[in-house]
Parts: sequence; structure tokens; C-alpha cells
Amino acid sequence: MMQLTTDELRHLQERAYQIRRLSVEMIAYSQWGHIGGSFSMAELLAVLYFKDMKLDPEQPSLENRDRLILSKAHGSPALYAVLALRGFMPEEKIYQYCELGGLEGHTHIESAPGIEATGGPLGMGLSVAVGMAMGLRRKENPRSRVICILGDGECNEGNVWEAAMSAAHYHLDNLIAIVDYNKAMAKGFVWDLMGIEPFADKWKAFGWNVLEIDGHDLQEVARALYTARWVKANGSPVVIIAHTVKGKGIEQAEFNYKWHTHAPDPETADAMLREVARNYGYPEEGYSKLEKAVEKETFYGGE
Amino acid sequence: MAENKTNTEEFRDAFGKTLIELGKENPKIVFLDADLHTSTKATGFKQTFPDRFVQVGIAEQNLFGIAAGLAFEGFVPFPSTFAAFASRRALDQIAISICFPNINVKIPGSYCGVPTSRAGGSHNCIEDLAVMRALPNMKVADPGSNEDLRQIMKTAVATPGPVYFRVTRYAVPELFGPEHRFEWGKGVVLRPGSDVTLFGTGVMTHFCLEAAGILAEQAIQAEVVHLASVKPIDNKLIVESALRTGCAVTAENATIYGGLGDAVSQVLAEAHPVPVHRIGVRDQFVESGGIEELFALHQMTPQDIANAALQVIRKKAKSEQEAI
Repeated sequence: MMQLTTDELRHLQERAYQIRRLSVEMIAYSQWGHIGGSFSMAELLAVLYFKDMKLDPEQPSLENRDRLILSKAHGSPALYAVLALRGFMPEEKIYQYCELGGLEGHTHIESAPGIEATGGPLGMGLSVAVGMAMGLRRKENPRSRVICILGDGECNEGNVWEAAMSAAHYHLDNLIAIVDYNKAMAKGFVWDLMGIEPFADKWKAFGWNVLEIDGHDLQEVARALYTARWVKANGSPVVIIAHTVKGKGIEQAEFNYKWHTHAPDPETADAMLREVARNYGYPEEGYSKLEKAVEKETFYGGE
Repeated sequence: MAENKTNTEEFRDAFGKTLIELGKENPKIVFLDADLHTSTKATGFKQTFPDRFVQVGIAEQNLFGIAAGLAFEGFVPFPSTFAAFASRRALDQIAISICFPNINVKIPGSYCGVPTSRAGGSHNCIEDLAVMRALPNMKVADPGSNEDLRQIMKTAVATPGPVYFRVTRYAVPELFGPEHRFEWGKGVVLRPGSDVTLFGTGVMTHFCLEAAGILAEQAIQAEVVHLASVKPIDNKLIVESALRTGCAVTAENATIYGGLGDAVSQVLAEAHPVPVHRIGVRDQFVESGGIEELFALHQMTPQDIANAALQVIRKKAKSEQEAI
């Protein structure tokens, strides 16, 4: 069975922490963004970008790379953070988040190397991923995988199920969908606003292999990705339902849809970053732009 | 100009043939169908290149998303459906998955405007020109004849980025010979004149030529300008022609809200205001009916165009008198 070593675990844990840290930095500095849905993906992205995916920051268009599409494109801070950490762009560029000519609020292919598609309106990404997976087949590229991260609330969208149906129809086992099942949407809980259960059964009924994991357990994430990539490559696409906690790592944001779209003021950002560091056992590190940000302008929370 | 008065081949037939021609030239072309290929006339492509024909079922949002994915992987996808479903059902996917990243997807919209089947207002699409024209990065063309369509398709493949072009279920006499070449943002003067300009696009250009014939009987010299490239539009030719004639009629097989008429009016309003009358569907759905019956109902016949020309000529004369 695939198993991360102690060193790998420590390394990936540190990356997940950095993804959270940079996400808060960019959301606080730009005064716009989605903390909850960025934090719930931190471990998923850490394992994808530092263990699972074949990538080369020096050659972002390498033909035999793995492709990742963030269909829940509002999780952009976490994706930009991991791309910066992985060397696709200088870390300083994160402070261009939502700035003119900088990183788009929702992931956009022109924002940074390593972004594979443009998104924003929910429900679209899986179709694009299906098209890419078909394209790889046409090019007889058997090695590359297309990975698509969806939100749970996003699965209210009909387009997701059109894409799911077609991926199974075309036997796209080079396609791995990951649902960041963090249980909360923008204005409430999934079960309350528009329930998606029985969720695993839905995907099964659409012809997918289904893996269900704790999306914050690095060992489980790595094992699921390995299984999806190598074990379940049996003629059907694979979905990993990753049970996560929205805002995981900051008490006031955890499981709290009020932090879906909300930007902290500089002092709150500073406190949040210190809390995240304590929770994951790293030396306390506050908000790097605290003084500069306080001088910069008024804060509106960015909802 | 080679005029073939007996043409009975519909645009969609020419579309099917050209698709095969382009498919032979460019192995990257992939045709995506949403359960309509016998209506859109892509059956020949399917038979010729079965492995480059992708059926996605009745799922237009997925159709355009898949097209985006294939374009990202270097293919030249033609996601095909009725214009109504492209511009209504899948607009968000076209806007954000295709136009925003500015990728290489060529969208043929079938069953445009008035001349379709008897399917009615749900299927007869009048807003596609307006909707597609409003999307950044999108180029929009409405061919005036089969050779025009063929050249538009060739140019579309040779032009990087998203393109929307219309494939109307209708036959008109051929406007062009094989030497014809289509260019983005370039109109064509099909008939020179000095009294009024008739700006046409799509099948309405042929009606403009017929209207010019009607006007000639009354000793009125109408200039007929074909603007297949609705976006970008030929600002220069529009202004030059209006300077010559001093008034204009626009004619499109679509709603007058946001399409060719508005595009021409915008150019003229900013550069050289002259009296303009727009011919097209006026804020109504095109319900079931016979084709010629519907053209008459929506006041889009050659006679309607000629009447509109007389009207703008009178307005021009009146404003010239007032100026004196």
C-alpha cells in the first residue's frame, strides 16, 4: 500500500500550512477572497502539487504534465498560493491578487503559468476537464491525468452532471474529479440550501469509481490520488469525495459559511495567521503587511 | 460576380461540404455534436472522419465546455448546435470557458432567424448576433451566400480565437465566384449607388440586392454593401458609403436589438450621422409559420427594404432642405 514517509508527511504538512498562510496574506491585502474554501483544500493541493502531479515550473506547458482545473474557481487564493510555493511564480506576486494586471479574482489562464483554464461561474470546470481528457486520448498521451476540483455546493449545477455522464460514457479513466466536500456554501449549509446526498451513490449511478476520504489527512489524500491514478484506472473516471472542513485551521471560520466570501481587516488577519501557526505547530508568524495595510486604506470586508 | 439564380443548396449543405474540405486540410479539426448532426448537415464529416466526430448528447453546456478543453489541448473544435441553444443555453460556458481565455473554438450556429423549420419561437434564434457580438474576443460573421460561408469557415480556421458564424437553413443565389476571399472587418460593395446605402448581412444581403432592383425601377440608385463580418465591422466602408449616399437601411435576419443595425448605427452616430432605418425582427419571437409568410409578417421582404429606403431618402431630403 502506498504510504507517505515521516519526512514526506512533515514536508507536506508544512506546505499545507504555507498555503493557508499565503491565502490569508493575499485575501487580507486585496480585501477580497474566499478563506473558507481555500483552507478546506490546503491538504489536497499540498499533496497534488508536491507529491502526486507531474509538473515542471520551468516548462508549464510541458506536454506530458498533469493538468489541474479548479472548477470552484473562487478557491483561487489556495491555488495561486500553491503555484507560488511550487515555483510557478514569485511569492511576491500573491500581493497582486485582484489588482489590475495581477492575479484575477477567479482563476484565469492569463493570470499565472500553471493555471490551465478560466473559471468563475460554478459548474463549468468538469466539462473543460472532460474535453482535456479527451484531447489527451486523441494525442495518445496515456500518462497525463486531468484533475478537476469541484465544490460541494457546485454540484447543484446541472452542467456538472452533464459532464459526469459524458466522462463515464467516454471511459475517461485519465480524469480524476475531487469534490471538496466542506459542507458549506455561500449562504448556508449544503444539506439545508440544496442537499446533494446520497452523494457517493449519485456518482456511482453516473458510472464513476468513487473514493471517499478525510480531505485533511495527508496520508489518505496521497493514497486516494495514488489509487485513482493507478489502481482504479479501469475504464471509468474516478471521483474522490474529500470530506473537509470549511475554514479548517481558524476557529471562527471553521464550518462557518459567513467566512465563505469575507476579507479580514489587518488586525484580524494578523490574529488568524498566528492562530493557524499555533494550530499546526509552527512558530507564530503574523500578517506581513500589517503596518502597510493599516496605512493603505479603509476595509470593507469584500463580500 | 457570378450570379447563380437557380441555387437551391441551403447554407447548411454548403456547411457540411466545407467541413469535410477543412477536415482534410486540418487534422486538428474535431466536430462536436449535440444530437443534431443530420439537421446541421454534419453527417458527411461524421462519415469521412468518424474518429473526429464527438457526440455529447443533448447537453449544450457540456458541449461548449468540452470544446474548451479540446482547444486547450491544441485541437480546433467545432461545437455545433442550433443558434438558439448556443446563444441561450450555453452562453455562460461560451463567455467564460471560451471567450475569456480567448481560445480557438469555432462555433457554427444553425437555424438562424426567420427561415428555419416550423419549430417556432423556441428554436428560431433572432438574438445570436446581438449576444455573440457582446462577448469580448468573439468574432461574428453571417454569410451572404454559400461561397461566402465557405470562405468564412476557411478564415475562421486560419484565425486564432473564438469565432461564431451563422449557418442558415435557407438558399439564396450565389453572390460570389470562387475568387472571393473573406476578411474580418471587411465589407463588400455588391452594387454601387448614390442615393441610399443598403447594408445587409446574411441572407438579407440578397434581399437588399432585390430591393435595389425595385428602387432602380423608380430611378433610385441604391448602393448595396454586404457586411458578413458583423464583428469586427467595416467602420471605414460604412462611413465612406454613407458619405456617398447620405442615408442608410440596414437589414439582418435577426432582432434589430444589438445586431448589425445597431453596429452600423453606432459607427454612423459617432462618425457621420445620417438617417438610418433598421430592418429585422422587432422585439418579437419568430413563431411557427411558413418562411415567406414570416418574412412578410416581420416586414423583412425586399419590398419592405425598398420602402424603408424611400423613407430614409425623404428624411435626408428634409434635413438637407432645413439646412438651406
